[in-house]
Amino acid sequence: MADTARSSLTQSRPPFYRDVTVVKWVVQIFVLAVVIGSMFFLASEAGDNLRASNVPTDYDFLSVNPGIDLSEGIDRDPDTGGRALWVGMVNTLRMALAGIALATFVGVIIGLCRLSNNWLLNKIGSAYVELIRNVPLLVQILLYGSVFANLPRVTQSVGPISGWLHLSNKGLSVPRFHIADGFYQWAIVVMVGLVLANYVRKKRVGIQDLTGDDTRPIRSALLVLLGVSAVGWFVHPVFGFLNTPLRQISEGISLIPQAAVQVALAVVALALAVRWVIKFLDARRSPAGLAKLTDDDYFRIIFALAGALIMVFVVLILWPGLSSWLLNAVSDFFTVLSEKFGNGRSGRPLDVALPDVIQVGKFPNYGPSGLNLSIGFAAVFFGVVFYTAAFIAEIVRGGVLAVPRGQSEAANALGLRRWTVLRRVILPQAARNMLPPLGNQYLNLAKNTSLAIAVGYSDIVQVGQTVYNQTGKTLPVVSIWMLFYLSCSLTISVVVNFFNVRTKIVER
Amino acid sequence: MGSGISDAFDMNAGDSIGELPGKPVEVSSNPAEWLKKNLFANIANTLLTVVGGIATVLVLRGVLNFVFSEERRWDAVRTNLRALMTLAYPESQYARIWVSVAVLVTLVGLSSGLWANWGTIRVQRLCRWGMSLGGFIILCILLREPSVLLDSNGIVLRDSFSEPVRESFSSAMMSRSTWWIVGISFGGSGLAGWYRLDSTGRTKTVSATSTVLVPLGVLVVSLWVAPYGHYAYSDGLFIAEPGERVALSTSIPWTWLYLLLLATMVLGRFVRNSDLAGIAKTLVNVSWVISPFVLYWVILRDPDFDYAHVVSTDLPMGLLFGFLGSIILWWLTRSTGETARIFAVCLVGIAGFNWVAAAFGWYPMLQKARISFLLLAVAALLAPNFVGELAKRKKLVTYWLTTMLLVHYMATTINSPSTVDISSSEFLGGLSITLFVAALTIMFSFPLGVLLALGRTSKFPIFRVLSTGYIEIIRGVPLITILIFFSVMVPLFLPRGMELAELAAAITGYTLFSAAYLAENVRGGLQSVRNGQFEAADALGLTSVQRTGFIVLPQALRVSIPPLVGQVIATYKETSLLAIIGIFDFLRVANSAIPSQTAFLGVKREGLLVVSAIYFIFAFTTSKYSQRLERRLGVGER
Repeated sequence: MADTARSSLTQSRPPFYRDVTVVKWVVQIFVLAVVIGSMFFLASEAGDNLRASNVPTDYDFLSVNPGIDLSEGIDRDPDTGGRALWVGMVNTLRMALAGIALATFVGVIIGLCRLSNNWLLNKIGSAYVELIRNVPLLVQILLYGSVFANLPRVTQSVGPISGWLHLSNKGLSVPRFHIADGFYQWAIVVMVGLVLANYVRKKRVGIQDLTGDDTRPIRSALLVLLGVSAVGWFVHPVFGFLNTPLRQISEGISLIPQAAVQVALAVVALALAVRWVIKFLDARRSPAGLAKLTDDDYFRIIFALAGALIMVFVVLILWPGLSSWLLNAVSDFFTVLSEKFGNGRSGRPLDVALPDVIQVGKFPNYGPSGLNLSIGFAAVFFGVVFYTAAFIAEIVRGGVLAVPRGQSEAANALGLRRWTVLRRVILPQAARNMLPPLGNQYLNLAKNTSLAIAVGYSDIVQVGQTVYNQTGKTLPVVSIWMLFYLSCSLTISVVVNFFNVRTKIVER
Repeated sequence: MGSGISDAFDMNAGDSIGELPGKPVEVSSNPAEWLKKNLFANIANTLLTVVGGIATVLVLRGVLNFVFSEERRWDAVRTNLRALMTLAYPESQYARIWVSVAVLVTLVGLSSGLWANWGTIRVQRLCRWGMSLGGFIILCILLREPSVLLDSNGIVLRDSFSEPVRESFSSAMMSRSTWWIVGISFGGSGLAGWYRLDSTGRTKTVSATSTVLVPLGVLVVSLWVAPYGHYAYSDGLFIAEPGERVALSTSIPWTWLYLLLLATMVLGRFVRNSDLAGIAKTLVNVSWVISPFVLYWVILRDPDFDYAHVVSTDLPMGLLFGFLGSIILWWLTRSTGETARIFAVCLVGIAGFNWVAAAFGWYPMLQKARISFLLLAVAALLAPNFVGELAKRKKLVTYWLTTMLLVHYMATTINSPSTVDISSSEFLGGLSITLFVAALTIMFSFPLGVLLALGRTSKFPIFRVLSTGYIEIIRGVPLITILIFFSVMVPLFLPRGMELAELAAAITGYTLFSAAYLAENVRGGLQSVRNGQFEAADALGLTSVQRTGFIVLPQALRVSIPPLVGQVIATYKETSLLAIIGIFDFLRVANSAIPSQTAFLGVKREGLLVVSAIYFIFAFTTSKYSQRLERRLGVGER
């Protein structure tokens, strides 16, 4: 019976051009071929055109002096193209990180305003969100920039609080806290303090669980940390001895041969792939045996192994420099770290410098000692902060509204105070809803800092544009941009995912 | 695609649900109770109110003093209004601009008449709006600081500390009499309505259409009576006559446009109740889709046809494709069969090979012939869906002939030189180019985004990897790098001898960028389609193309309408980046063209404020309108 059924099935098998499996793979491979073919074609055209215009595509410009001055950053007059791009990256990252912090703060406040029962606050929140959200960011940045540029000129006694807070058409200058001599030695003490504080907190929580007393674990842990840090402020020179062991580590690493690292990287790549495949197969194995693998599963396995082999190829043959670069980077890192210890460092770990105004030549300008926010930085910074805050406010509002009303009712019935309800019941649950879209907004903020090009703040895009205008290496610069932004995106999604997994409801 | 969405909107356009059904009618309480409940409920609340109130007053006062400061050069914007809208479109051909606006107004009027889905608004709500608007205006009048005094030469008077001398508070209040009248009339009518009407009167509704049309009408009438001032720029001469009425060249077209809006709305209403409603809706949808092309290339660009070439080449080619294609399609649809499919696949092969040949320059062929071949292949692939009755087959042939007519006409038009007399390469600029780019981007990125979304959710691994990679890479990098990439790099990628205008490169970049985001929105919709729908489609024996096209996509798109509207608004806002890559959109006009005029050197903030206001009005009304539609149609709730 079964046999006849099967034979009739095989007999009525459709011709190959109507066979689903065959057609499916033919179509896919055809499309893949078209995509790869057209990319290859475009690349070859670009190569021809570039050769015709005498602009070879290489990355030499990274080690050549570009002859450009940057408006701001850790190095205003970079020696090499690579250094210039690095300054741009640091500027972008600085803006993005500060922006994320402030935008979250403003956004949460506006979001809570929109949730408030108070009519006025509610309206202020709505007006803010609607106004900011519906005007393009670029227009806002340009507007802020032109408003800041029309502030009064710098004079020797510039306001509003002379000596502390200077505001002029050169930007904002405020006192700067900076890392001083003994910071790294002190950081060791603080780390010890952190470990101690954590120990105290756990202990206290244990007592609280046991006896039911309010032992205030967080408060005591903070006290311990503060105490240790305060003591460390004076005794940190003790850790100056770390200089020697760190230098020895650095020298030890530089002794490792390059081939060893290459082999190690190759082995790691292969091992990761094999481990992944084994896990993958394990997941498809039940007590009844291995489940039938679909085309898709085979595809994934082949993809993983091929990826590992490509990595091995890259590490061993295509780019051996990667391994020596890794070695040098790690060794340099320890050298730099060792120099932070000893050498008679006994000063304060942190210090503060007041802003100053200097006059070189005809016009006065801000000196280097204060923390100076240029007009460009301020325009982009406030632009992205206000803009993103409007979206974050909506996310906060949505997240809080998505918490079932029963939760707050139950908390009220327990007799908790309003603030406690918000802090202990509503916000933790809302945070779970808010995290994924919040991560998206952080990503958008990081990408939006690229609009700095419109007001001349030296972020990676602006520096990159200056570099390729000087050297003509457009394609390499664009590739560096893309790599940089893609790795930023990846980092932010990894961080957000980490918290997302942590806050997820554990399901059985 | 356009009709799909409109049909979704049209589901229950017949009945006029105004407000949310479950929303209780607010019982009127007296002002003191309202204040106590909403502003001064307890100490913390009172404190917040005071802090918030002070902050509001300070911010509002700062903004007012900034906007109405004696340093502001608003005449810069007034004089350059035309430049902001159309840049340097020649004066002699300006009628073309008005015709384009008229076409858009006609489409708006017809659509709102035909679909009539604006709903109604409660009188109570109108009263509240009137009161808030009136109160806000009066608050602004009180908060703005008195204006400075000018001497007889128009120079600001200054006291001994060189601070400007301001008029006294009372005379400032007196000099703002016009604003007092406006504020009091709004607030007063709102208040009167609120207290005159009893609770049944307040729950009465008026149509939303009239609440839009009446203020618009008032604005149009005010063009004829109110002294807005006459400002213009012609032949290098700035004309600024404050206190005059606007020129007739402004008031007459706007009056006609308003009347046209009224007429087309009435016409739409009239057609809606007749038998022609269905075909009229299709026509209006198609007109919306082709309007950017027709407006830009036919009306505004005014092609200068080379009639000898048209008769010798363009016309015969169009006729050839039209008639041969019709015969082939007619033959393909005679009965279901393997032959049709094999033939269609062969056609796809030929069409594809044509493009490969184009890339390597193997044999010359007009670009539109290649496009027509491709379209014929697509039509042949769709042919099995039109097999059967005579009416169906006729429909396919009609579609084919219409498409060929449009494609060949547009191709000829685009290839002809423009008659518009302008020195720069781009004949249009300002707001019009912004809207054009936004429209084309949305139109092109929609199909691409849907394809990418289907690819990402497909069971085919290679498609999935390709689409996922594309979407994630594009979403990981900022738009500006993509735009720079396209405006700088595209010339390098093209085969020698082929050129792409700067604007086309920009639109390509926008489309590719926007498609990735659109794909994610559509994917959300696709994932919300329940498994049962797929199974039911399979049980009916539909092919996978039919299942996707008729069962899955309509439901998915319906769910993703709200994020899609959000994407449309985002795309519109993103067009501001055109200014960075050197296209004269209206942001660039305000940011660099006006400040470089000798008469208005460095006057930038005024223009930027106006640009933000225009962006705000478009984006805000679109989002409010879409929210209204969503609420009324319950999109996303089913």
